[in-house]
Amino acid sequence: MVNRHFLLHRLNPGWWMPWIMLSIFACDPLVNRFDDIEKAESYSTGRPVNPPAAADTVHVMTWNIRFGAGRTPWFGDGCGDRVIFSEGEILRFLSGIARELNRLRPDILLLQEVDVKSKRSAYIDQVQWLLDHTYFDHAAYASMWEAQVVPSDGLGRINTGQAVLSRWPIQDSERIQLPLRGDQDALTRYFYLRRCILKTRIALPGTGVFYVLNVHLDAFSTDDTKKRQIDRVKEELDKLAVSGAVFVAGGDFNLIPPGSDSTDFCIEDKCPDESFHQPGDDPLHKEGSNFTPEAAWLQQLYDAYLPSVPLEKYLIDQESYYTSTPDWNGFWNRKIDHLFTNASWIAASDSTHQDILDLSDHVPVSARWRLPEGAVR
Amino acid sequence: MRMRNAFLLGIALAAVHAPVSGDSEQASGRPAQSDGGTAWRHWTSGTAYTMPAGRWEVGLFQSLRHAGSESVEWSTHPLAFFLIPNLSVKWSHGSRNGFQIATRHSLTYPTPLLRLLSRKGIGGLISPEFHIPHLVSIYNEVLVSGPIARSLLVTANAGVCFAVKSGVLDERTTIDLPVVFPRLNVFYPGYGFHGGTELRADGFRRWRIQTGAGVFYYPAADERFAFEQKGLLLWNQSRTFQICVGYQLTFGEYPFGTQWHLFGPVFDLTWGWGGK
Repeated sequence: MVNRHFLLHRLNPGWWMPWIMLSIFACDPLVNRFDDIEKAESYSTGRPVNPPAAADTVHVMTWNIRFGAGRTPWFGDGCGDRVIFSEGEILRFLSGIARELNRLRPDILLLQEVDVKSKRSAYIDQVQWLLDHTYFDHAAYASMWEAQVVPSDGLGRINTGQAVLSRWPIQDSERIQLPLRGDQDALTRYFYLRRCILKTRIALPGTGVFYVLNVHLDAFSTDDTKKRQIDRVKEELDKLAVSGAVFVAGGDFNLIPPGSDSTDFCIEDKCPDESFHQPGDDPLHKEGSNFTPEAAWLQQLYDAYLPSVPLEKYLIDQESYYTSTPDWNGFWNRKIDHLFTNASWIAASDSTHQDILDLSDHVPVSARWRLPEGAVR
Repeated sequence: MRMRNAFLLGIALAAVHAPVSGDSEQASGRPAQSDGGTAWRHWTSGTAYTMPAGRWEVGLFQSLRHAGSESVEWSTHPLAFFLIPNLSVKWSHGSRNGFQIATRHSLTYPTPLLRLLSRKGIGGLISPEFHIPHLVSIYNEVLVSGPIARSLLVTANAGVCFAVKSGVLDERTTIDLPVVFPRLNVFYPGYGFHGGTELRADGFRRWRIQTGAGVFYYPAADERFAFEQKGLLLWNQSRTFQICVGYQLTFGEYPFGTQWHLFGPVFDLTWGWGGK
């Protein structure tokens, strides 16, 4: 005969209360809100690692690969209706990206808009895929948008962010949160992107402390969000410089160089059913297309550090350095992808690969970085 | 407007959960008596027992259930019925060796809900670029319940689910959420199996404990397996009102890989009336 209360004797509160408390406090949030600073995710290949020996120069590249969707119109950043791409579409563009990387052979690669198991890009872990299909052995990844589900437009699960791929081991990596958009309501902001810096320390032979920072600033803010973000980037770079470290910082800044001829792209970027700049238009400007109030925000980086494309050189022939366009039929019409260092670039080593037309709405930008004078070799 | 959308979405997701899962979320047996099973016949959701003829039960998140006779019990989720029409019938087949046996047969038509969720803007859980055909799932299961001790009732259930479609359902229409995904997964391979066990125990005075686990298995799908386990603490004011609180643990294969989730606290209020 079993005692009436035997179960409660065995399942006493000491046993089941922790489960109940756990259930209250351990539920997964729909959206990852991230700490101010947290560890980035590390990747490697299964291949035997054989990093290159000491080099005098390092070929650095930055590329916003638009989650492997090429220039196909997408609802979120152009005038398209597409939301979820097929595996075949994504693999075709990723293969093209890998082909170009294997041809251009950068040593260190800064990628933006890399998806990791996102619904819109057929759940492919693009960091691992690119490691597996190129010669890179190491990578670090920091998410700028991670949600179990984004309940809008069928976007669903998303995890997208920045990655640094390297031929040398990545000793340490962290994700640094940037200020959130200030021009959104709380609900939209909860589900929206959380821009960040991916800061990696790379074991580059011949250097002391060498950092690579991958930056992707906000694209569509209409207030001072990008100013606050670039201030935070500058603050981080200044700290490294003061500490004696050398760095390369680059990425998609969504900011044009100071002095650019064109600063307002509302008309070029507008979709067929949109109107801007006309009396009564609300908004007057298209989100993400009017750089006029922001035209000088990048000046502080140009003043403090060395860009891969010197400002004088850019201002003489701006079109040759354009890196992006949201127009899936048009040619590149603005420069928003940049590389900076506190050491030096090899003169005239920069390349803006405008011939790579169909793999993203950005082109890769690269330059050869020179080890600082007096570096240990 | 956003709050209203969120409320509708909540009801819709609860509806997806409730009918297909066989109402196995919240229920309890009555105070234990060695009476061959009649004491378990109130709050019988999830067991092989049917309610006394004429009894009604309904919860905030559970289905509305009604025993039309001593051996047949109907249920549907009333709040969600217009978004996801559903009907279930539990048919008692008597007892064998002290174990109650029943079968349950459920029909669910989620197309209106899925089409509602296939939209631009907020509330869009499915991309509007895909067409949602007419979908019907038919779930048939066997339930066996019996007291294995004075205060313990154990239930085992196993069944097979089939899906009927009027056209091609694109694989990119999945809703990759725990609880939801395993239940809608049947519409991709077309068939699958469910099974589980549940243990409910009388405790101190009006308190009850209920725990159970279930599996979903879709042999022809890319994402074949899902597991759910729950634990509930229930308080019966009487045979007319019940409160429960607890947790649910889930593990499953999703298109992006495997994932664990812990939900809690889950809760429900249930009312019952009529019958003897």
